[in-house]
Amino acid sequence: MLQILIYGAVSSAIYAMLAVGFTLIFGVARILNLAHGSFYALGAYSAFTMTSLLGLPLLVAAPLSVLVVALFGVVMERLLVRPLRQSQLAVLMITLAVSLAVEQALFLTFGSEYRNVPSFIAEKIAIGGVDISGQRLLALAVGVAVLLALWLVIQRTRLGAAILAVSQDPEAAQYMGIPTNRIFSIVMAISAGTAALAGILVSPFLTVQPGMGLLPMVKAFAIVIVGGLGSIPGSIIAALILGYSETAVAYLASTAWTELVSLVAVVATLMIRPSGIFGRRAAF
Amino acid sequence: MQRVPWIDVLGGLIVLGVLALVPMFATSNYLTGVLTVCAIYGIWASSWDFMSGLTGRENFGHALFIGSGAYTAGFMATAWYLNPWYSLPAAVAVAVVFSLIVGFPTLRLRGPYFALAMLSASAIMQRLCLIYWEYTGGEEGLYGLDPIIRSPLHYYWFVLAILAVTVLILTLLAHAHWGLLLRAIRGDEATCQAAGINVTFYKIASLMISAAFTGLGGALYAHYQLQVSPPLFSVVVSITVIIMAYVGGVGSIYGAAIAAILLTLLTEMLRGFGEYRLWVYTLTLMLILFFLPGGLVAPAWRRLTARLR
Amino acid sequence: MISLFRLAAAGLIAFGTTCISMAAIAQQGPIKIGIPTSIQLQVGRDTQNAAKMAVEEINAQGGLLGRKLEIVVADETENPEQGIAAIKKLTADDKVDVLIGGYTSGVTLAQLPHISNAKTIYIGIGAASPSITAKVKADYDNYKYIFRVCPINAAHQARALVDFINGKLKGDLKFTKIAIVGENAKWVQDLVPILKKGAAEGGTDVRLAEFFDTSTSDFSPLFAKVKESGAQYLIVILSHASSDIFVKQWYDAQVPIPIGGIDVKSQDADFFSRVGGKAISETVALFAVRAPMTPKTIPFWDEFVKRFGTAPVYTGVGAYDAIHVYADAVRRANSLDNDAVIKALEKTDMVGIAGKIQFDEVHDVKTGPGLQNLIFVQWQANADRIVVWPKDSQTGKMISPPWLGN
Repeated sequence: MLQILIYGAVSSAIYAMLAVGFTLIFGVARILNLAHGSFYALGAYSAFTMTSLLGLPLLVAAPLSVLVVALFGVVMERLLVRPLRQSQLAVLMITLAVSLAVEQALFLTFGSEYRNVPSFIAEKIAIGGVDISGQRLLALAVGVAVLLALWLVIQRTRLGAAILAVSQDPEAAQYMGIPTNRIFSIVMAISAGTAALAGILVSPFLTVQPGMGLLPMVKAFAIVIVGGLGSIPGSIIAALILGYSETAVAYLASTAWTELVSLVAVVATLMIRPSGIFGRRAAF
Repeated sequence: MQRVPWIDVLGGLIVLGVLALVPMFATSNYLTGVLTVCAIYGIWASSWDFMSGLTGRENFGHALFIGSGAYTAGFMATAWYLNPWYSLPAAVAVAVVFSLIVGFPTLRLRGPYFALAMLSASAIMQRLCLIYWEYTGGEEGLYGLDPIIRSPLHYYWFVLAILAVTVLILTLLAHAHWGLLLRAIRGDEATCQAAGINVTFYKIASLMISAAFTGLGGALYAHYQLQVSPPLFSVVVSITVIIMAYVGGVGSIYGAAIAAILLTLLTEMLRGFGEYRLWVYTLTLMLILFFLPGGLVAPAWRRLTARLR
Repeated sequence: MISLFRLAAAGLIAFGTTCISMAAIAQQGPIKIGIPTSIQLQVGRDTQNAAKMAVEEINAQGGLLGRKLEIVVADETENPEQGIAAIKKLTADDKVDVLIGGYTSGVTLAQLPHISNAKTIYIGIGAASPSITAKVKADYDNYKYIFRVCPINAAHQARALVDFINGKLKGDLKFTKIAIVGENAKWVQDLVPILKKGAAEGGTDVRLAEFFDTSTSDFSPLFAKVKESGAQYLIVILSHASSDIFVKQWYDAQVPIPIGGIDVKSQDADFFSRVGGKAISETVALFAVRAPMTPKTIPFWDEFVKRFGTAPVYTGVGAYDAIHVYADAVRRANSLDNDAVIKALEKTDMVGIAGKIQFDEVHDVKTGPGLQNLIFVQWQANADRIVVWPKDSQTGKMISPPWLGN
C-alpha cells in the first residue's frame, strides 16, 4: 500500500510537470502544442550529451539543458508557429511536424538504442520498508518545488498577472499595454523548460530513446483535457488521478493494464464532463 | 446538387488511367506492391477527409476503423478459415459498428475534445489487442492470411477500382445536399439545429460512412500484407492519414487520395537515402505544412485549372 | 624456336578466350545476398559487418562458382509491416538470390508467405521462434526455402536454461525458488512453458512466471512482485525490451535477488559501460565467446574486433556462419538452382564459429555436444565476462550482486 502511495506520487509529479506546461501554453496562446513531447525528449538527450559527451557534471548539465530546450521552444514558436496563428489546425500540424522532425533528428544523431543518463542520487532509500531509488524521490521533490514556484509566480508576480490577463483576453491585454507577443514567448519558454526538466529527471530511470516523447505527449494531452484545458489546478489534480490510478493498477493487477486505465479514465471524463474538471472553455 | 466540375472528373480519369497502366511497364512486382499500398492509404485518407474535412471535427482515432477492418479479416482467415472475399463486407460491418459505439457518446464533443476521445478509443483497442494476446496474437498479431486475388497486378487493379469508387461516392455526397449540411454543421451547429436539421443523424451517418470505407481498406490491407498486428491501431497511423488529408487540402476528398499516393510513393522513393530516409521525408512534410497551410494538391489543382471552371 | 607468328596467335587466342569468358562471367553478374535486418540496432550492424567479412573472404578466394558475392541490405526494423516491405524490395526489386537475416520472430513469421511466394531461400540468423520452421515439414513444397542457422530455437534455448537452473542454480548455489519474467513476444511465449515444466521436473519451485509488455519502461511493480514471491533468483527472458532500463532499475532499487537468463541487449560488448556498470553480476546466455570453441572462433573474433571495434553479438556470429553455409551448399550443388541448393543445404555438416552446423528435419540448426549450444556468461567487475556454466567451460566463479555480499 505504501508502495503505491510513494510511487504514485512520483508518477503524478512527473505527469503534472508535463501537463502544466502544455495547459499553460494552450490557456495563454490557444496553441495545442503537439511538439511538447519533443521538449521532454530533448531535455533528456541534452542532459545525456552534456554529461556523457562533454563531460559536464550533472548539476551543471541539468539547468543548462533546461535553458537550451526553453530556447528551442521560443525559437520554434517565433519561427514556425506565430506565422500560422490564425488557424488552429495549421498550428497543430506544424507542431506535429516538428515533433516528427525532432524524433528523426535524435534518431539519426544518437541511434535508436537506449542511452544512459547518470543519476543525480545513486543511493537507494528505504521508506517504511519500501525500496525506492533516490533519483525517483528527487524527481518527486523537484516536481513539487517547480509546481509551487510556478503557482507563486502566477499568483504573486506582475509577470503572472500579465500571463493571466493574456489568457483571459489577449486583445484587451494588449490594449492595457501588456506585450502579448513577449508573454507568448515567456510562457513557451516556461512550458518547454518544465517539460525538459521532467525529461531530465526521469531519464536516469526510464527509457531515453528517440521516440520517448510520444507516449508522454499523449498522456499530457489526456491529463490536460481531463483537468480542463487552460486550468493549472485542473491539470495537477488530473495528473494525480492518472498517476495514482496507473500505479495502483500496476501493483495490484499487472503493468499491461495501466495504459488501459488511463485511457478509460479519459474517455469517461469526456463523456461525463466534457470540459474537464475545471474546464472553462466549452467542449461543445 | 452542386455539379462536379467536368475538369475534376477528367483529371480524375486521367490519374486513374495513369495509375492503372504504370505497373504494366515495370520490370517487377515491386512497383505494383507499392502502388497497392498507396491506393489503400488513398481510401483511408479520402474517407477521413469526408467526415473530418467537411465537419471540421478532426478524428484522431481513424486507426480504430483501419484496425477493426484489418483484424476482422485476420480473424476470419486464421480463426475461422473463411473465404477471403467474405472478409470485405464483414470488415465494413464491423467498422461501422465501431463507429456507432464511439460515435454516440462523443456526439457532442468537438475540437480537441473530440480528437482526444477518438484517439483514446483507438488506443484502447490497441491495448486490448496486446492484453488479450492469447486470442489476438499479441504484438506479432495474426499471420497466414490468404490473398484475395493471387496475381499482384490484378489485385492492384481491384484495389484501385475500389479507391475510384470510394472517391466517386464521397465526392458526389460532398457535392450533394449532404455535403452542404456537413459544412453547415461545421459553421454553426446550434443554428443548424434551430433550423430543424437533424444534426445528430448527419454527424453519426458521416462517421459511419467514413468508417465503412476505411474498414474496407483495412481488410484490403490485411489481405495484401497477409498479416495484421496492433500497430495498425496506433496513433501514428491516424496521424499519417491526417497529414495526407491535410497535404491534399482538407475537404477536397480527391486531394486527400492523391496526397496519400504521393506521400506513400515518396517514402518508398527516398529509400536511396538510407538511414536519412525518414528525416528527409519529415523535413519535406514540414516545408509543405509551413508554406502551404491550405494544402498542396487541391489548391494547386484549382489554380492550374482555374480558367476551365 | 617457336615462330613469332605462332606465339602471337597463341597469345591472341588466349587473350580472346579470357575476354570472352570474362564477358560471360560479367554478364552473369554477382550473386546477390539480400540481408533483411534491423539496421539501427546493434544486432543489425553486426549482421551486416559479419556478412561483409564473410563475403570478402569468399570473394578473395575467387568467389562462388566463379562469380563474386554482393550484399544488399534492407531495413526490416522490428515492425512486421516494414519487414514485409523489406522482403518485397529485396526479392522483387533487387532480385536477390538468397536471403540471410532476421531478428524479430514476429517479423519473420509475417514475412514467410512473401518469401515463399518469391521462391527465394531464406536463412534465418536472429529469430528464435520454432513456428518459423514448423511449416517446413507441414507444407514442404511451399516452405522448403526456410532454414535457420542461428540461434538455436526457443525450445532448445529453454532446455539449455533448464539445464542451467538445475545444474548451476539448484546444484551449485542451492537455490530452490525462482521467478521467471519475460517480454510478451512470440519466442518467449514459446519458451516459458518449456522452462516452467523443466524447472519443476528438476525440483525447482517456480514462484512466479510473468510476461510484461515489450515497451514497459517502469519495472518497479514487477520487482516488487518478484520480491514478494520469495524467489531466490530471477530468470529473465529479454530481447527487444529495454534491458538497459531493467538492469538500471534493478540496480538502483538494489533488488535483493540476482538476475540472469537470456538477455539479447546485454550481449552487446558495450552493454556494461552503457548502463554505467549496473549490469554487474547479471548472467547472460551467449552462443560464442572468445575461446577456442572451434578452430574458427578466435580468428573470427579477433578479426571482427579489429575491423569493427566491438565484439560481435549472436547475429554477427550467425551471419558469418550462414554465408559460409550457403556458399558451401552452393559449391556442393554446383549450381544456384533452388532445389539443388536446398538439397545440399539439408546435408550441411560444417564447422561454424561456435560448433558444428547441421540441420534437422525442419531445417532448424541442431543443438547438442559439438554442435551449437548456449553458454552462460556473467558480467563482473571491469566489464569482464566470465563463463560460469557449463562446468567444463567455466572460467571463473559466479558472484552475487554487490549489495548482497556473498
